Amino acid sequence: MSPPPAPLRPAPPKPSTRPRAAVGLSLGVALVLLFVAIRVLAPEAVGDVLSNSVQDFFTLSISVVIESLPFVFLGILLSIGVQVWLPDGFLLRHLPRNRVARRVTVSLLGVLLPVCECGNVPLARGLILRGLTVGESMTFLLAAPILNPVTIITTYQAFGWSDGILVSRILGGFVIANLIGWIYSRHPSPMSLLTPKFQASCAHAHDEVRASRTRRSVAMFDKETSAMLPALFVGSAVAGLIQVAVSRDVLVTLGQNPVLSVFALMALAFVVAICSNVDAFFILAFGSTFMPGAIVAFLVFGPMIDVKMLALMRTTFTAKTLVQLTVIVGLASAALGLAVNALA
Amino acid sequence: MLRRLIARWQGIVLALIGIVATVWLALTDQLSLYIHPGTSWFAIVMALIGAVLVIAAFALTPLEDDHQVASDASQPGPAVHLHEHDPTAPRSVGSGTIRAALAAAIIVGASLALLVLPPATLTSAAAAQRSINSETSTLDQDATALVGGDTSSFTVKDWAVLLGQSPDADFFAGRSIDLVGFVSSSPDDPDNVFYVTRFVVTHCAIDAQPVGVPVYLPGWAERFEPDQWVTASGAIVPNPGSSSAEPLLLTPDEISVTDQPEQPYVY
Repeated sequence: MSPPPAPLRPAPPKPSTRPRAAVGLSLGVALVLLFVAIRVLAPEAVGDVLSNSVQDFFTLSISVVIESLPFVFLGILLSIGVQVWLPDGFLLRHLPRNRVARRVTVSLLGVLLPVCECGNVPLARGLILRGLTVGESMTFLLAAPILNPVTIITTYQAFGWSDGILVSRILGGFVIANLIGWIYSRHPSPMSLLTPKFQASCAHAHDEVRASRTRRSVAMFDKETSAMLPALFVGSAVAGLIQVAVSRDVLVTLGQNPVLSVFALMALAFVVAICSNVDAFFILAFGSTFMPGAIVAFLVFGPMIDVKMLALMRTTFTAKTLVQLTVIVGLASAALGLAVNALA
Repeated sequence: MLRRLIARWQGIVLALIGIVATVWLALTDQLSLYIHPGTSWFAIVMALIGAVLVIAAFALTPLEDDHQVASDASQPGPAVHLHEHDPTAPRSVGSGTIRAALAAAIIVGASLALLVLPPATLTSAAAAQRSINSETSTLDQDATALVGGDTSSFTVKDWAVLLGQSPDADFFAGRSIDLVGFVSSSPDDPDNVFYVTRFVVTHCAIDAQPVGVPVYLPGWAERFEPDQWVTASGAIVPNPGSSSAEPLLLTPDEISVTDQPEQPYVY
């Protein structure tokens, strides 16, 4: 790769645009051709040197990437829509003023913007840049994967009304997301929950008005992929590694105990890092061996917290914040699961 | 310079790697090795939209270079004042180098996994690790619905569900069954029994569950290897004395090695 000439100071954009675009474009096309050539010419025999477990690690990690990437792109597109194309102040004007009512509304935004959890991270970043508080964006981030039509329909298809699983999932997700939003709304300096890099982005959110919307959209795509994709690739590798290393038998054997099963399935949710749109079918397949409360805990905890999500959220929140978040969501999900088991 | 270049282009390059891999898998009909065929269209559409944005990013890049560099903290710029109040913020030359090295490692790893390695299915190691047939009783399929069905079109999954849910030898009496799957050895009687195995995929390879029909063939390991694809035909009979816990096993009339089918997973 050779560098595109990069101005260190805000230069008058007009005069140099054209040749620079041509250079950039040919550079891009060259890179595309290079990648295509590698892909087409890579010898089949490369895979033969890998042992079965290593091969499975790659297959599983690649599967997570191929599955999640379109959702991340969709999330980035929606985030661009919110940040660049929605009129300034549109969002804040249309949300209720009252803080509680506003969080409740935000937690239902997933109904309008049905993205999977990985797509929600870029979108939540966009919402913060557009003036939502950190707590409100957390409420959105945690609620949207559960309170969206696709998830609700697939959960219904998998479980119907049996054992209150569907209702517990919807209500549990709603309550926990609003609880988190309320807790963090009381934080004395919410910006300190964010990574320094993202804080810097927030500081700049309002002074990029010179360029056209298209240019800003493309720049934002660039910026968001820089933040999200390294996290996605690392998170996928971790998810693949854990799947190869942790035996499912252990988790399944724990499934019969009303208390242990809740924690076993939460551990499973953390490890498999599966999309909320389909996790109901996934756990249905493990199905009858587990208590309903454990399944509820899986279906509530998994969309909010898992290895891949933590990697993605780390782009935005500090490690300390994520530890707190994981503990609170974990305790709340466990309490919900145990309560369902006690009533079942 | 190189350091800044990598940090600057990391996201776009990773996006491009993912896009090239997705489109190539789709063109060569191998996307179903990783995701359910029902969701392929979404992956392809988003990859193409992503491709347009990546190319646009190459053409329109310089717009935000100054901000980007500043927020990378590797160069003094308008945004650095924020970092000065934050002792944890990376700002030294050394941390910039480490970050660039990490970014480069992720790019190399991603290219290796997505562009160099040939696409592959899950192996018998994953089948063993996930326990073959541990979940057949709850696959979204009803054995009673299968009983009346046309058995000639049955997959390994259908037979595994039947064997798991109605271990009634009478139903199988006089039926010859045909199967295609890969070999994985039985954990409790590896000398005499192996499974003709397939993975059932509900959404992507992450949720793949192994299902299999146990085959009774003492000394099978001399003729076949784990992970080899085979076609097997024969009759289901009560366990003829294997130490395997399976009550019913296939005694093969014929087994031969075959190629991996185009759709190695079942749905």
